[in-house]
Order: sequence, then structure tokens, then C-alpha cells
Amino acid sequence: MPNFLKRWESLLLIILVVVVVFNITQSPVFLRTENLINLFSLHIEKIIVALVMTLIIINGEIDLSVASVMGLAACLMATLYEQGTPMELAILVALGAGVLCGIFNGFWIAYIGLPSLAVTLAGLIGYRGIASMLVEDRSVTGFPEWFNALGQDALVGPLPLAMIVFFFLAVAVFIALHYSGYGRYIYFIGNNLEAARYSGVRVKRIKLSLFVVSSTIAAVAGILFAARLGAVRSSTAEGFELDIITMVLLGGVSIFGGKGTLGGVILSILIVLCLRNGMNLLSITGNTQSTVIGVLLILSVLIPNLTQVLQELSRRRQYVLQKE
Amino acid sequence: MKKLFVGLLVLTLILAMGAASAQDVVVAEPGQEVNMILLPKFLGIAVFDEANQGAQEAHAELENPGTLEFLGPTAENSVAGQIEIVTTAASRDDIDAIMISNNAGDQLVPAVEAASEAGQAVVTWDSPIPSGAGEALFIAQVDFDETGRVMAEMARSILGEDGGSFAILSASPDAANQNAWIAALLEVLEEPEYENLVLLDTVYGNDQTEESYNQALALVDQYPEMELIMAPTSVGITAAAKAMQDEGLCDTVKVSGLGLPSEMIEFTLNGCAPEFALWSFVDLGYVTYYATYLLATGAMEAEEGVTFEAGRMGEYTIEADPTREEGLRIVMGPFSVYNIDNIEEAVGGAMEEMEATATPGS
Repeated sequence: MPNFLKRWESLLLIILVVVVVFNITQSPVFLRTENLINLFSLHIEKIIVALVMTLIIINGEIDLSVASVMGLAACLMATLYEQGTPMELAILVALGAGVLCGIFNGFWIAYIGLPSLAVTLAGLIGYRGIASMLVEDRSVTGFPEWFNALGQDALVGPLPLAMIVFFFLAVAVFIALHYSGYGRYIYFIGNNLEAARYSGVRVKRIKLSLFVVSSTIAAVAGILFAARLGAVRSSTAEGFELDIITMVLLGGVSIFGGKGTLGGVILSILIVLCLRNGMNLLSITGNTQSTVIGVLLILSVLIPNLTQVLQELSRRRQYVLQKE
Repeated sequence: MKKLFVGLLVLTLILAMGAASAQDVVVAEPGQEVNMILLPKFLGIAVFDEANQGAQEAHAELENPGTLEFLGPTAENSVAGQIEIVTTAASRDDIDAIMISNNAGDQLVPAVEAASEAGQAVVTWDSPIPSGAGEALFIAQVDFDETGRVMAEMARSILGEDGGSFAILSASPDAANQNAWIAALLEVLEEPEYENLVLLDTVYGNDQTEESYNQALALVDQYPEMELIMAPTSVGITAAAKAMQDEGLCDTVKVSGLGLPSEMIEFTLNGCAPEFALWSFVDLGYVTYYATYLLATGAMEAEEGVTFEAGRMGEYTIEADPTREEGLRIVMGPFSVYNIDNIEEAVGGAMEEMEATATPGS
């Protein structure tokens, strides 16, 4: 399998190079610092969450509730601030709510053994429901200047806060996944849950910790999103979970767990962002854009599976031939 | 000699007056290259296509060698999509102006400010930036206060002298135009002559047909006493009228609001929506284009009191927008109220007009 993974990432790298070269030749604006910052900024909250989603999917689970947790954190913060809570405290409470969502998800999945698809689907609906109860059909704005500046202005050099968060988190996830015992256990559990359990891996604790990290980072992303837009409504970040999962799967992470690298996911993030940015620069928007991304995802699921089926077929044929 | 002198004096005066008025009214000089983007709330809605048609008409009329692109997000991605399109457009050198029907409320402010700072002319139409930040000018379709009054009058004419209860089915909670009209309607309802009109609830169908349809039915379930649904959106009004028609409720619950005659004709003729109002979106796109062209070519500054000529639509004067704390606007107007007496003519006329403008424009 490592051979195949290598090939998948090389394929991604080739696609990325093609997209980037295409963008450079088609638009003089593409390589400008301002545009490159925009390229990341416009989707920064999604790609922050995608980093942790990579760990969850490699672990053989899924977290569909991330976008709703983003919305809930943003709405809770906005409501508290509106009612007179200092912004700093409102942010802390919103982050705390993120942690609680993660504990709730993780408890049912790790300790009761319910499928994560069902639990986090309930979370997707339920957390969004709470967000809608808090903000209803309004749009909350008028946050303090410093808060909006955190989302909109450059903090270090040309980089806004969210991009710095992304880079640090990417390094942390990379080390955790590829250079620590924790990461080896994540792969082990994703490959073979039963074997991991009988080998004494603390499966429950690892699964719980992953869901807590996922929801907490989602809450951070939700607050960053609120700061970037300077406004919050109950539908904030609605539907983001699909974009996030798309990027992770396109990165070569198997939806059945155990396979995939962070490098692959980073490449796929870059492909999706460059593709979208390039299409926007060329005035390709709306449904055409969605279709292109959709086709890319179908291919990303199809190609590895096709390879697997072909490999399986050739193995069987060899087996039959040997018997004869 | 004296006669000649008087004659000369009069002639000079006339010439002077002519020169003065020519200076006061800014007129577009055709043939200048301006690359423009027309950004609707999202793609796939008839009224926005009509606005595009009007803008294309002006584009051809002014012989602009540049491009006019009609770009928009998909409906379910409207807010994030608008932010993405404006942010990207702001970094493009080849774009000189962008005309926005804002569906993202003040969430669009950082993006439009970036566009303005990049030297692009930012004009809003149909729905403005609520805070007015980053926007040069707003092309209002009608006076927003008048919209409230027209809706109140239609409600009274449908519900009769005794009044009754009604609910509002709006677009999205962030749509600045709908919110302003609803606020204006609520103000009119304060007046004593409208006191027997009772507003039960305001719900949002987000300008999606299915969502609006379901919201309309939910209103019927929730408020048995409701006699009228007022929908200040062309998507909401047709969805509500269809819902009442499908459920056979048109005798008890009427539908009114703002709608396109071509989409509403069947509901007006069968009595589900006896009366509704609208302005021409073709004209709105046309006027928006003229104003934006003048701003982008530097022929006009967006300042209070400036008067300009917008082709076949005549002259407009920029004024402070009384419906917002900050911001400048022009008001296009007027309102047309449609009912069984005039809708067939309106739909027929519109068809002819569309055919007439489509041929030379394309």
C-alpha cells in the first residue's frame, strides 16, 4: 500500500502543478501576494477544520457536526456579547461549548459504541438547532474593532491570524500523526479496531480525544469566521462539512480508515483552493465551479477504489493460475 | 438698434442657460473602455436575468469596448459566494467596476472596501450595503418608504375595510432591501387608518422556492386566523401563491407582495393573488449601468446633488439615503400595481419589449 499512497500523492502533485501553471498563464494577478492571501483567507476556516478531520477519518470515524459546531460557537459568542458579556469572556465560553460538543460526540461514539456517522449527524442537526434558537433569523454585527481586525487585518507580515493558526496547527497535526505514538495508534485503530483493542491500545480514550480536538478546533474556526465577516447569523458555516470532507478524501485519505497522509490532504487543499481562485479570476462562478469540484471528488473516490479492484482481480487470477 | 440689442441679450441669456444646464447634468460619453461585473444575489432568478438584460442594453448603447460579465454564486452558497467573487474581483486589474445586489448584509463590507481601495467603482442596486461602507452609490428601485405604503395599501384593499390578520414571508434575514421594506411597512401600520391590520409573524424562505413554499404552509397551520400572506420577494410570492393554490386555500388566504407579472399572471387571474406590485428590473439594470459607467470613467463623482442622465430613463439626482445612516442613493421608480384589470396587458407588453430589446442588444 505505501507504494500506492506515494503514487496518489504524486498524482495530486501533478494536478496541483497543472492547476498552478494554468492559473499563472491565464491571470497575471494569481501570483500576487494579495491574491495568494485571498486564496487562503476565503476558505481558511474550512482548511483549519480539515486538518483535524484528517485524523478522524484515518481513525476510521467521521465528524459531520463540525460546521454546526462552528455555527454554534459563533452564535453563542455573538449572543453573549450582544447581552453585555465582555468579548473576551464570550469567546472563552464559545470555546468551552466546543469542548462540550466534542465530549458529547466522543462519549457516545467511544464509550457507548454508537456509529460516528449517526452521532455526528445528530450533532449536525442539534447544534445547528441551538444556534438557530440563539440568533433566530437575525444577523448579529457590531463586534469590537479589535475583534473584526483579528479576522480581517494582517497580523504578522501579510498574514492574518487565521493563517498563522492554520500553519501552526498543520505542523502540530503533522508531528502528531507521523512522528508520535499517538499517530501510530490512530492508524492502528483505523486499520483494525479489534486488533488495536486486544493489543491494549486505549481505543476509547484516543477516540474521545480526537472528537474533543475536532469540536474545539471547529469552535476556534467558527470564531475566526465571525471575525473575518464581522457578522454572525444562525446559518453561519452551514454546509461547510461537505467541503471539508471533500478536501480530506481528495487528499487520498480512505473513508474506511487506516490510510492517508497529512501531506496528501495539504496537497488536495492547495488544489481545491487554487482551482477555485483560478476559476474566480477567470470569471467562472456558480454551478460550473461546483461541478468541477464535484467531478474532482468523484475521481478521487473512484481512482483509488478502481486501483484496489484491479489489484484484487489480478491477485485472484494469479491464485487461479497457480492452482491450475 | 435697441431691438437688436435686446435680441442679442435674450440670445446670450438662452445660450448661457443652456450651457449652465449642460454643465449641471452629467452626460455619458460613449465608447470608453470599462470592464464591469454585474453581481446578482445569486444566479437562476428571473428578475436578476432581467436586470442583466437592461445592463446589456446600456452596454451596447454606450458602445463600451470593455466587458460586462454577469457573475453570481449558487443560491445555497450566496453569502460566501458573493464575498468570494467580490474579494477576487478586487484583486483583478482588468476589472474597473462592480455592481452588486447585496445578499450578505454587512458581511460584504471588507470585500467591497478592498474593491473601492483598489480604485474600482462599487455601485449597489436592488439591495445596498446596510452601513453604506465601501459603496459609492446605491440605485434604489423605488423609495423604500413607498414600498411599505404600497404593501399596506394592497393589504387593506385585499382584506377590506374591516381589516384582518396577515403574515410576512420574506427572503433572507440579511437582505437589506427586504428588511427596509418590512420596517417601512411596520411604520405605516402604526398609522390609525391601518390599525385593523394585524401582523402575526415574519418568516424567511431565503428566496428558495421549496423553503418559501413550506414556510407558507407552516404559516397556515400555525395561524388559522391568517387571511393574507405578504411576500416582498418575487420568489416568495409565487411560492406562497402556488402553496395556497395547491392546498385549495385561495378563498381564505390571499397572497400579495412584490412579484413579476409574467410569473404571477395565473395566480392573479385565478384569484389567489389578486393584487401585487413591482418595478421594472430591466430598467433597474439599465440605470445602474449608466451610473456605474459615469463613475468608472471619472465623468461623475458620487456626491450629493450631482445630476446625471441615464439614457432613455432620463435624469437622476444623487441624494443622501434617508433609509440608512450613511450612504448615497438615487431612486429609480415608479411602482406599478398589478391586478386582474391590467396584468394581461403588462405581461403582453413586457414580452414585446423583451423581443424588441433582445434583437439589437444581442
